[in-house]
Amino acid sequence: MQIKRRKPDAPEINVGAFSDIAFLLIIFFILTTTFVRPAGEKLQIPAGTTDPEQKDRKQLTITLAPNEILYGEKGDTVTIEQLREKLLRERLPKRPAEDRIIILETDPVVPYETYFQAVMAITNAGGVLALVEPSDEEAPAP
Amino acid sequence: MGDIAFLLIIFFMLTSNFIKEAHIELTPPAAPELETLETTPVAIAVDRDGIVWLQGKECPPSLVENAVEALIEDKRDKTVTLRVDKDLPHGSYGSVIMALSRAGAEIAMIGTKTGDDRP
Repeated sequence: MQIKRRKPDAPEINVGAFSDIAFLLIIFFILTTTFVRPAGEKLQIPAGTTDPEQKDRKQLTITLAPNEILYGEKGDTVTIEQLREKLLRERLPKRPAEDRIIILETDPVVPYETYFQAVMAITNAGGVLALVEPSDEEAPAP
Repeated sequence: MGDIAFLLIIFFMLTSNFIKEAHIELTPPAAPELETLETTPVAIAVDRDGIVWLQGKECPPSLVENAVEALIEDKRDKTVTLRVDKDLPHGSYGSVIMALSRAGAEIAMIGTKTGDDRP
């Protein structure tokens, strides 16, 4: 009598469920890597010290005082909206590069939000920002 | 099928950069005229206590310039993301902005976009 010998089955792993998990993980990573794109503005601030020769050029100065924004030489008090409008009226993009520089003087107590809005207004109007620290307040140590 | 899936998993694990700055507490300022920016490899933040965080690690303000310079030296994109708390006085963030500009970085200032103008 012939004994039926069954060949033992090669062990099999159920790969179906395995790839299900893998795909779940893929979906998870795709969703978590959705890049958070921050809102903001890029700006290049020219670094350097104040050149005495440049002081002769008439450059627009905006001063951020503790509770107000002063515009220009005469120091008219403006609100942030007025600042935006005034800067747009300067038609900065039509000027040569060196005349687009706007000097921003900031008092040490000015909160970042005011500063940020002023910087955004200047950048949007096509101005190139130049920073000035109030000389008597934060003089660098010799 | 499973092989491809795992390759994809590995790809996404390597490319996903986790938010390094989750522990930094700050409220970004609001302005109406903001663009959408790309995330940059170098990020600096000043939290509501005036502590400077460079790449998610605390950094003394005096070292910011050299540290940023070293970080962006070999990079093509010299943009540094700057996040500052909206109520922080200029005395705390002014030096950081100065340091970034001296280091030759392009600064991406981050805020939240608003429709309404706040004075």
